[in-house]
Amino acid sequence: MNLVRAELLKIRTTSTWWWLALGAFLSIVLAFAFNAWYAVTVLGGDGGDVGASPEQSTPAAQAANLYTSGQYLGLMFVMLIGILMVTNEFFHQTATTTFLTTPRRTSVIVGKLLAASVLGFIFWLATTLIDLAAGSIFLSLNDYGAQLGEWPVQRALLFNLLAYAIWTILGVGIGTLITNQLGAVITAAVLYLVGTQVVGLLFLLLSNVLDSEAVLKWQVVWPAVASQVMITEGTSEFTPSWWVGALVLIGYALVSGVVGVLITRRRDIA
Amino acid sequence: MTDGQRSPTIDGQIVVSGLTKQYKNVRAVNNLSFTVAPGRVTGFLGPNGAGKTTTLRMLLNLVTPTAGTATISGHRYTDLTDPLRHVGAVLEASSAHKGRTGINHLRVICAAAGLPKQRADEALALVGLTPAAKRKFKGYSLGMKQRLGIAAAMLGNPRVLILDEPANGLDPEGIRWMRGFLKNLAHEGRTVLVSSHLLSEMQLLADDVVIIAAGQLVRQGPVDQVLGSMAQSARVRVRTPQAEALIAALKAQSATVDTDEQGTLLVAGVDAPTIGRAALAAGVELHELTTERPDLERVFLELTAGKAGIR
Repeated sequence: MNLVRAELLKIRTTSTWWWLALGAFLSIVLAFAFNAWYAVTVLGGDGGDVGASPEQSTPAAQAANLYTSGQYLGLMFVMLIGILMVTNEFFHQTATTTFLTTPRRTSVIVGKLLAASVLGFIFWLATTLIDLAAGSIFLSLNDYGAQLGEWPVQRALLFNLLAYAIWTILGVGIGTLITNQLGAVITAAVLYLVGTQVVGLLFLLLSNVLDSEAVLKWQVVWPAVASQVMITEGTSEFTPSWWVGALVLIGYALVSGVVGVLITRRRDIA
Repeated sequence: MTDGQRSPTIDGQIVVSGLTKQYKNVRAVNNLSFTVAPGRVTGFLGPNGAGKTTTLRMLLNLVTPTAGTATISGHRYTDLTDPLRHVGAVLEASSAHKGRTGINHLRVICAAAGLPKQRADEALALVGLTPAAKRKFKGYSLGMKQRLGIAAAMLGNPRVLILDEPANGLDPEGIRWMRGFLKNLAHEGRTVLVSSHLLSEMQLLADDVVIIAAGQLVRQGPVDQVLGSMAQSARVRVRTPQAEALIAALKAQSATVDTDEQGTLLVAGVDAPTIGRAALAAGVELHELTTERPDLERVFLELTAGKAGIR
């Protein structure tokens, strides 16, 4: 518990989180504007033009989408926080002090993982409060009601929370793998932003070659796709069920957490 | 937990036993054994690359030894309950987040170690850094960074202090402060292990020395003893306008005499009074008669000759 407090204090006493929060806020604004336009289009009956299945064309599904606006970049920002929680220790050579204070390194990493989940929660809470306020106003103005009583909406909000926690944890895992701060941040951001498009293209090619649209659903193995799938209501030819996304993400979090602990236990701090 | 030690465990004693670290291409530390006693300042000396830092890091469980053990009060560092209350270490001057204030750096450590928050303020005051408490670390001078490192080490009021090159970057005033500070800690009965390559400083500071070179122990013991072991090589500087006559007189006393570029005689094998008497008897005029006290630097260079350098 002391270690979680110490990790959160580390975050609070530098200005990095502030910049990442600002970035997350801007991405919420942009995403909300886009999602609002999308909701109007889909609910207006033109869903087919933008690739939405009938299941995804309900007010509840669109409300879920609105209430999780900013998730795409927000998840990247919490992942970056997770990465910085580890790589800062090496960049600023505080790893020595940290491991002197707590020689049991597993505890240090577990502390970081727990603190990362707390941060993920805080980012989710702020994002969701903003989205709920803006979204319910928008939906009410368009006569759909806030839709908060709908299970798909509630589910989307809850699983969005899971996504934030997992991506921060994933960031900690990446940080232990790539301790070079610049290297880790750039690798992760590029994989997240560009990687998702590349994976999408690869699967599109693959589905053409194999002449099978079912292949497209396998994009879910890519973590960024998985977290989108997890919060999306219903399935289309592109997306499998939400729980597949959830399982994939939890798998990544487990693996990166365990690998992070194992690597850190063995590393010489020079 | 005595790891096969013959002597019983002494509180505050550091025991390094058969410590070895093999990196890919180099054996940084090779079967190194020594002990460090509480209540004394022990200088840990060696040329660059001798393995000092690697040894200290193995002692603190930051680096895993290939073989051997290092214990503090009979325990490996990892096995100490409340390590910060037992051992304080200063390893790198620049080990704080650049954007964090000094006081917050210490508070983070307090939080992780379960120490009360006000220890951070007390430790800052102890090293005279209170005025800079709320300044960010990147604005600190090298000397202030060293002091912050010492403050961090003192947070838990530890029994054992381990410092790697603490005098680096300190101005003369800072070095004098550090000397007094560490001597005082030793007088309070704490163990103080200081690595350094500033030999003149070590001669003023250390009670004991451990000298290593190329990863191996060269000599260990009280400073006076280590210097004394080299006393037979002590020389006397003599200046005289009648060098020829004096050399002849000294040769008769079976002394060995060298002459340097300035014509000063460097006499070994006899002491200053003997030379004075020989000069008087021979009617030789003397302008200087100085015993060159073997200082730590000379002893160190002789002991580590041929073992230093890049491996």
